[in-house]
Amino acid sequence: MRRAPWKTPVAVVLTAVMLFPIYWMVNVSLTNRASIRRGDLIPIDFTLDHYGVVLSQQLPYLATSVLIGIGTVLLTLAIATPAAFGLAKLSFPGGRTLSFILIVAQMVPAVVMSLGFYSIYNRIGLLNTVPGLILADSTIAVPFAVMLLTAFMAGIPRELIEAAEIDGASTWRVFSAIVVPISRNSMITASLFAFLWSWSDFLFASTLNREGGLLRPITMGIYNYIGAQNQEWGPMMATAVVASIPAAVLLVVAQKYVSAGVTAGAVKD
Amino acid sequence: MTKSPGRRVSAGVALAACMALAACTTPQPAAPSASGEATKGTTTADIKFWDPYPQRTDGSDWDKLVKACAPQGSTITRTSAPQSDLFNQLTTAVKEGNAPDIVVLDNPMMPEAVSSGLVATAKQANIDTTGVDANLMGPGIVNGEAYGVPFGSNALGLYYNEDLLKKAGVDPASITSWDALNAAIGKVAASGGKGITFSGVTGEEGVFQFLPWFWGAGANLNDVSSDQSVSAGQLISDWIGKGWAPKSAVTDNQSAAWDLFLTGKYGFAENGSWFASAAAQAKFKIGVLAIPSKAGGVAPVPTGGEFAVAPVQAKDADNHYANAAAVIKCLTDGDAALKTNETLGYLSAKPDVRAAQVKSNPVWQPWVKSVEGAQGRTTELGAKYVEVSSQLSEAIQGALNAAGDATAVKSAFATAAGK
Amino acid sequence: MTTPVSSAATGHSPSAVTQRPRRRRSTRWVAIAFVAPLLVYLVVFYAYPLIENVTMSLHRFDRGSFVRGGAPFVGLDIYREVVSDPRFWRVVSQTATFTVVSILFQYVIGLALAVFFHGGQFRLSAALRGMFLVPWLLPVIVSGTVWQWMMNPDSGVINSFLGVFGIDPVWWLNADNALMSVTIANIWLGIPFNLVILYSGLQNIPTDLYEASSLDGASPWQQFWRITMPLLRPVSVITVLLGLVYTLKVVDIIWIMTTGAGSSQTLATWSYGMAFGKGASTVIRYSQASAVGTILLLVALAFGVVYLVMQRRRED
Repeated sequence: MRRAPWKTPVAVVLTAVMLFPIYWMVNVSLTNRASIRRGDLIPIDFTLDHYGVVLSQQLPYLATSVLIGIGTVLLTLAIATPAAFGLAKLSFPGGRTLSFILIVAQMVPAVVMSLGFYSIYNRIGLLNTVPGLILADSTIAVPFAVMLLTAFMAGIPRELIEAAEIDGASTWRVFSAIVVPISRNSMITASLFAFLWSWSDFLFASTLNREGGLLRPITMGIYNYIGAQNQEWGPMMATAVVASIPAAVLLVVAQKYVSAGVTAGAVKD
Repeated sequence: MTKSPGRRVSAGVALAACMALAACTTPQPAAPSASGEATKGTTTADIKFWDPYPQRTDGSDWDKLVKACAPQGSTITRTSAPQSDLFNQLTTAVKEGNAPDIVVLDNPMMPEAVSSGLVATAKQANIDTTGVDANLMGPGIVNGEAYGVPFGSNALGLYYNEDLLKKAGVDPASITSWDALNAAIGKVAASGGKGITFSGVTGEEGVFQFLPWFWGAGANLNDVSSDQSVSAGQLISDWIGKGWAPKSAVTDNQSAAWDLFLTGKYGFAENGSWFASAAAQAKFKIGVLAIPSKAGGVAPVPTGGEFAVAPVQAKDADNHYANAAAVIKCLTDGDAALKTNETLGYLSAKPDVRAAQVKSNPVWQPWVKSVEGAQGRTTELGAKYVEVSSQLSEAIQGALNAAGDATAVKSAFATAAGK
Repeated sequence: MTTPVSSAATGHSPSAVTQRPRRRRSTRWVAIAFVAPLLVYLVVFYAYPLIENVTMSLHRFDRGSFVRGGAPFVGLDIYREVVSDPRFWRVVSQTATFTVVSILFQYVIGLALAVFFHGGQFRLSAALRGMFLVPWLLPVIVSGTVWQWMMNPDSGVINSFLGVFGIDPVWWLNADNALMSVTIANIWLGIPFNLVILYSGLQNIPTDLYEASSLDGASPWQQFWRITMPLLRPVSVITVLLGLVYTLKVVDIIWIMTTGAGSSQTLATWSYGMAFGKGASTVIRYSQASAVGTILLLVALAFGVVYLVMQRRRED
């Protein structure tokens, strides 16, 4: 592929513009409360106290969030990948209706979903548990993942599958040995979204897991700084900074995989 | 198909089916009823306590105080959520027969909580309300029946930056009417400072902050668009228009307004007694005044603070109420009241305890009058207050956006009142 | 479901026609087996809330009858009230503006960035692309607040920046400008989503197509319109469609910045405020909230139909 070194400085500038609000967040997280609303460009009234507070209080919530994120990703992929294969490559009857339903499913207001879950969970004892929250969080990602994976799998050449079938491979074998490896790229993309949505979920957590103690996600932990009439923005911003580190690492790693261009090569037969 | 994935799929199906089944076959929990007597029950091993203080984390003084109130053989699990979330969570929990034993609920929510059948009477839950000031108890009395008890109260006042006032040549003692206040703000602005911060955010919080001016103008909650009401709207609108108050008041909540005041650029801040201790530790010297009324004198402020209540229970109500009775008594009875209020940074709802607080902690001195003269927001209108509050909220937003334009302020109040 | 990507990528025509009938019957059952977990999942998790939502909008609920039951059935009365509310059409048009403007900018910027990162290798490419997604990691309560502060009319950094160019300070979050301001913040939030999907879409376009057209003397601009856009179409359609659905649903960023005040009220924030008793009115209105929610569902349904029609036309 061509090289375009001139793009590096442009990309740096674009990234800087895009990330300016994040810089502002870091800036505030390093500023004493008395000055957080002064609008200084750099943290003149400097302090590290907010990070001290966060590191002493928020780490368990962070771990829970990671756990829930991974659980959501696995559950989402387990349901969405075979379904997408069935829709894209096998003659599933009523596939169109199903993709229609998937669109509509994503419009069900989360408020209504959470009330429904509460009443079911309360009766079967899933309230205030991590698996319960993983199940609930997966509902945000599953319809999306099915649609995304279907769109990408539709692009896999039929010849590839037929060749395998002629060699006597079962449908499951075709799926697991050919389709899944080829779809790695889009599966990572879908996982990314599943992870990020569960990472940022507040509504389900606050309804279904409010008495979960330390087994609550970071979005709940952040509420420790929101009092009845008083909000501690310094620690909140510091929490956001700390919380974004594991997720950012994950993003960069995932992006590396996507950019490796595995599929692009494979699809090209 | 190989075996293992098939098994995985069928396990998933089984789980899903069991969930669906549970949803379909388990009978709806019995509707929560209003029966039950604390005196007939005994305390149980697990007691659930909900409050609106998420910032008071596990291991904080308040957390320890509450947990120390567990009766012999019981443990208290305390969880928190912001006020309005807590109210909704309580609604869902009561509906599903899963209510906590004790909830601490913001006072203007009381009439609606009662009329929606969420709260047991003070008598049922054996809660002692004697000695509580009538104005503070007001929001918890519905149709002559008492529900829960307010353990403490907070109030709004006018904080000022002593350095800025001195520089501008303003004597705080002279600020006893709107004209005097405006003159003082004008002097601060003329000497290079900024005027006043307050919260005008949409919703109850902004209304709470507006009510001292509203009542101070002689307006009445039964008539949102009266001339008095409009004049209060004009007052805050002019502050924006003249650049005395930050334009961000339309979205600032009370915490944001306080953060702006802490920058040291503003002469005044309308804010609550919950910041009294923080004010004593600020980088500049902060004083506090009672909020003046229009014509002169102290304006009535709305009562602030929460009620401790026992939610309605679907089963074992006697025992749950006994739990509530024991814990609430431990937090509010006799000497405990003083400790509870000092821990929360509140002024007690009982006059004798309040006197003791002021004696030991002079920071409370300027607030006593405001608390004693405070009016319950819902005392007059009951559950109808929420409708009036939403009209006022719209009117306040309109007034602030008008930035001083008198015609626009007047029409904002008229529109909000539906005229 | 065949798409231009597959036929173009392979250079052959779709070959479903060559399947033997006997085989097709058995694959049908296999297909059902693959999709079954999803079907069960949808029924269990979506059917109940969906029915619940519609049921609530047909009964008059308040907090009391929500708890105790016994809300009266009122047919379509709630819908009539909602639609005849003086605010309704204003909110609808604000929702339309918010959605269309957000999608347009998110898609165009996201696509431009995806093409930028895709064509030609350069140092730090992967790392910088990863950084672009960071806005997504933040709790919206934090990023929303940061935007609110940056847009502070008196001391905000955006007004200070504009001041350098002699532009008067803007009152970003007053009643008139609120819609524009929350849309800007929402575009910012949505760019990562568009970038990720469109970028992976670009990666599935075989590079030899570009190489061939380069030999034919096509300019990059021509390549973009003749190769990139047509081959990206299925992914673009999905991106825009999902973008529509998600943007219609947006509550958090608007709520944190303005609580839906002034022109920033959309159908979603309106419904949210009523369902939770938040915002200007603390009165809880479950039924009205559900009715607005159902209206949003119908809008999504309409988009779904458009999508189906587009798909069918492509296949015929």
